[in-house]
Amino acid sequence: MTGVSRVAAVVGVGNSDWIADNRITRNGGKPHNSFGYAAIAFKRALADAGITADQIDGVVAGPTTAHERMCEVLGINPRWGVQADAMLGVQEACLAINAGMAEVVLLVYGNDQKSAAVNYGGANAAGGANFLSYVYHAPWGFTSQGALYAMQFQRYMHETGFTERDLGEVAVAQRLHSSLNPQAIMQKRISIDDYLTSRYVTEPLHLFDYCLINDGGVALIIMEASRAAKLKGVKPVVIHGIGRSDLSRGATSLEPRLTDFYRPAQREAATQVFGMAGVGPEDMSALQVYDSFSVHIPLALEGYGYCPTDGAGEFLRETGISLAKGLPVNTSGGHLSESYMQGWNHQIEAVRQVRGICGERQVPDCRFVHYSSDVAGKAVSIIYGE
Amino acid sequence: MAKATRVLSMYDVPMWESIERGAWALQRCSGCGVFRYPPSPICPDCHSMESEWTPLAGTGTLLSWTVFHRQYFDDYKPPYNAVTVRLTEGPIIVTNLVGAEPDKDCIGRSVVIVYETHEGQQLPRVKYTKSE
Repeated sequence: MTGVSRVAAVVGVGNSDWIADNRITRNGGKPHNSFGYAAIAFKRALADAGITADQIDGVVAGPTTAHERMCEVLGINPRWGVQADAMLGVQEACLAINAGMAEVVLLVYGNDQKSAAVNYGGANAAGGANFLSYVYHAPWGFTSQGALYAMQFQRYMHETGFTERDLGEVAVAQRLHSSLNPQAIMQKRISIDDYLTSRYVTEPLHLFDYCLINDGGVALIIMEASRAAKLKGVKPVVIHGIGRSDLSRGATSLEPRLTDFYRPAQREAATQVFGMAGVGPEDMSALQVYDSFSVHIPLALEGYGYCPTDGAGEFLRETGISLAKGLPVNTSGGHLSESYMQGWNHQIEAVRQVRGICGERQVPDCRFVHYSSDVAGKAVSIIYGE
Repeated sequence: MAKATRVLSMYDVPMWESIERGAWALQRCSGCGVFRYPPSPICPDCHSMESEWTPLAGTGTLLSWTVFHRQYFDDYKPPYNAVTVRLTEGPIIVTNLVGAEPDKDCIGRSVVIVYETHEGQQLPRVKYTKSE
């Protein structure tokens, strides 16, 4: 056992009603703000774990809600806490538990990005304060995270022979998954022809390559592993490993995006996470990939060692990434088709798959689920298992 | 919607002044000679804080491209392109290709910087090198 392997386990998960809230926000309504969505998810995660709020001694608040106000709203005075995104939140929680600074950590996220009309491109593009590449090239009309991935993917196709049709396999597979997920916003299956005939947003990326924008909340409760094992009526889902590697040099001029497509960071994070967990890609029952854009999936397949470098096209065509064939990737439908919860819904989907409660979309004999993200070249990887 | 705006840190100001003069200059590290972009206070390679604003040769190679089919700014009506170019000096820039639209054969082609007036200010863009 090394690092934070098996130090902590997820004992409760919850989320808001994405479909119902999306219906309301599409008609101009606003059921809740970010704190409200977070509160709903919090209550459901507590009930799922069968614990009371007074047992929580650590709080990770998502990036869109101030930490103090979140704790105030939920009535919690923690002894440890931090503001973080989903993947780093899980990492921080495990580190705090390992250090003895907390035993029961609530991770809670709410985002009213749809009803608040958050823009991910154009003037005041969201995220620009943290990632200069999101705003620096605006004088040339170059804006939006989609355009960054379009630029990256065009070069990737040129270097590897990967095609737009190959990329379409991602959107098609994830729609198959979301069609089996009663909580997914997009339930209608699509074909490769639907994909290829859909409009471009930033060529070569089609509409179906883009994630949804919707309101919602997600919460997880992570508990020190020996304490989690004693919980009655709960199957703890253990965190077996975490890895992280950043490519920040040359980030604004897009150097790591265009030269090796972030794969070196993924390889490094993969070495860490599989080393810590003592398992390899071949042991994974499913893979969840942060999919703000479909492009993340082929790069993760290569970077994390599921196929050879430059071999993602062949993997998508011949092995497959769906519940019907191959390695199931983004079994909930992910950001493209279930809900855009900025990596948070991937964590709870991983937990639910290991628990074996996913109904029609359940991966058979699911033992380990691997989560990966490479947001702006920050590769983070987590392995959940029994 | 609004117009596209520049990010203007104190290190960006001299660069945009050089662009306005039609002679785009970047900081060249006095310690190791490496050019850096965007402008910044320190060389990320050798950590020297000394640099000289050095005009670019104005040449490079096209790395990749995209075409916007959605409008994000008042002053950019789709469809319009954006390209990435590896400058002869080393850094990658994002700009627009003028005189032709990018296509499947454009990656790897040589380009030269041209200055165009956009919203009353000079903006460096690129076109294919004539000999190609």
